[in-house]
Amino acid sequence: MAQFIQFALTRAGMAIVTLLMVSLIVFSLMEMVPGNCAERYLAFKNTQGSQITVADIEAEEKRLGLDRPFLVRWGSWVGNVFFKGDFGDSCILRLNINQLLGDKFLLSLGICLTSLLFAYLIAIPVGIISAASKSAWLNGSLRFISYLGLAMPNFLLALMIMLFSTVMFGDSMTGLFSKEYRDAEWSFDRVKDFLSHAWLPVFILGWSATAFALQTVRALMLDETGKLYITAAKARGLFGRKLLWRYPARHALGPIINSLGFDLNRVFNELPIVAVILTLTEAGALLLESLARSNDQQLAGAIIFLLTASIVTLNFVTDIALAIIDPRVRKSVMGG
Amino acid sequence: MIETLISVKDLTVRFKTDEGLITAVDGVTFDVKPGEILGLVGESGSGKSVTAKSLMLLNADNTVYDPKSSMKLNLHDQSIDILSLKKPQDQMIIRGGAISMIFQEPMASFAPAITIGDQMVEQLKLHSNMPDEKAKEISIEMLERVGIPEAGKRFNQYAFEFSGGMRQRAMIAMALSTKPKLLIADEPTTALDVTIQAQVIELMKELVDEFHMAIIFITHDLGVIAQTADRVAVMYLGNLVETGTVHQVIQQPAHPYTQGLINALPNLEDLDSPLTPVPGDIPSPLERPTGCVFNTRCSLSLGERCEAEVPHNFNVAPGHNVSCHLMEQRMAANE
Repeated sequence: MAQFIQFALTRAGMAIVTLLMVSLIVFSLMEMVPGNCAERYLAFKNTQGSQITVADIEAEEKRLGLDRPFLVRWGSWVGNVFFKGDFGDSCILRLNINQLLGDKFLLSLGICLTSLLFAYLIAIPVGIISAASKSAWLNGSLRFISYLGLAMPNFLLALMIMLFSTVMFGDSMTGLFSKEYRDAEWSFDRVKDFLSHAWLPVFILGWSATAFALQTVRALMLDETGKLYITAAKARGLFGRKLLWRYPARHALGPIINSLGFDLNRVFNELPIVAVILTLTEAGALLLESLARSNDQQLAGAIIFLLTASIVTLNFVTDIALAIIDPRVRKSVMGG
Repeated sequence: MIETLISVKDLTVRFKTDEGLITAVDGVTFDVKPGEILGLVGESGSGKSVTAKSLMLLNADNTVYDPKSSMKLNLHDQSIDILSLKKPQDQMIIRGGAISMIFQEPMASFAPAITIGDQMVEQLKLHSNMPDEKAKEISIEMLERVGIPEAGKRFNQYAFEFSGGMRQRAMIAMALSTKPKLLIADEPTTALDVTIQAQVIELMKELVDEFHMAIIFITHDLGVIAQTADRVAVMYLGNLVETGTVHQVIQQPAHPYTQGLINALPNLEDLDSPLTPVPGDIPSPLERPTGCVFNTRCSLSLGERCEAEVPHNFNVAPGHNVSCHLMEQRMAANE
């Protein structure tokens, strides 16, 4: 137990260090874009007809604290993010980023995590059974469904479902909320409305994620089943379900749990395309918009940081899960 | 008292592959008496592991046993026809019940994420109705018996926390915990240092006496066989070419292959003597030679006869059998 706590604390410490490094990189990227907030704001004023001098820019820089050294500015940004959860203002929109983001990031993250949850809930048992089964029919159809999920672009699937539902039910099934709930306060009915819409992106994102995880679980299982310790377990008299779940299945799950963080990133990357088609207002689309169109570094930085933080957190959770199922991870504090 | 514990007759094992049926073991016949150590010797690919695994029906799913093959396990109260055991529940008697097996790689034979103790208790409970505490007690006793210090603590550890020699001892402890009548040891000392190897062999010999158990000891190392076995069976390309007591086979080898194996051993007394390996490589099972399977590498080959005719099994001395055409002349000369 002491070993386990030591492992967890070491991992938590490493996660925080990683987050700090990420924040430094994100902050540097935000700063690397030519022109700072003061220049931009004044340039905007310039287009409105005001005359701008160098002194004006310097005064504005002083007001925004941009004249301080880089590390100090990073420190204050990171401090606000870590302790107040405040990402500051977007200098393009002149709005607080927290307000701008609102629930969008959490909704996006929720959709991605739910897709992954469903993907894993289906992929792990089905993958294990498929690896153990000799039924050509079962494995053939699973492979077909998997390759369909992997090969078919998400946007095509989204379009097909929209087309189908419009023709069949007269409802295009777009958006995350019905009109009347879009800007309403959170309430039981709003949650219900949200869920009735959210299953579609979850399904679309989840299909390929499931297909991917399913093939991975199956391959890992086949790999484990060929190992000597399985023969040795058979030689001791084990068979059937006990042999399957206690021996190869347990050992095959490690790499799958390990890939959760990577999977979250993949699903989050796929979300914007699906979001555009289903006209969801989510953070991925906002990120695209802030990076590509308006060059809004503060907003982009905040979203990238939040996403990375989610992945780091998920990796921390998966490390703990791995340590629970595999003693080798638990006993090597820095390893794994 | 049982005369023979294991009686294998005409065991022929083939594997179904895309290239067709591949013969791995061809008409092997041997007996094992209770308390006897039978050394099964041969190069890699000679079929010795397949033969041993057949006794526990552990060969892969594509295995086909020839209908003529028969394997009998004789216990006090019953005689079991191993090939007739189809259901996994019925197979438990030959898997960890009356027959146990230890493997070359003790590290790889323990599940990495389950403690040694859990795996031992699991096996004991599979083969009896004993409660957890009793199974734990027996497991710790067995670990102590095979010479593992602090057995109570070791019980809760994982295979990766054991040293190589300790792992093999633990593997032996686990295999013997159910008091099997036959232990199959598949190259149990090959992966160990020579000094540890000697300790493990000594331990196995002690345990044979203590438990009055038989061992089929598979190895390619004639030195180990000379120290361990009562009787020796030499396999080549799925065939049993020579069987006899350890004295007969090591000191008066009759088959050219056995002679070759013994001559190939490095001579520690005369360091300048050249090594004399058996020429050539063991042929692929896909291209089994016709006639005598050894004719392609035999320095004493009679030519056409060896290439065309499968040699008979000659009884050259009591308990000493050799499959070789050369024996015909020798037998005739003796008469």
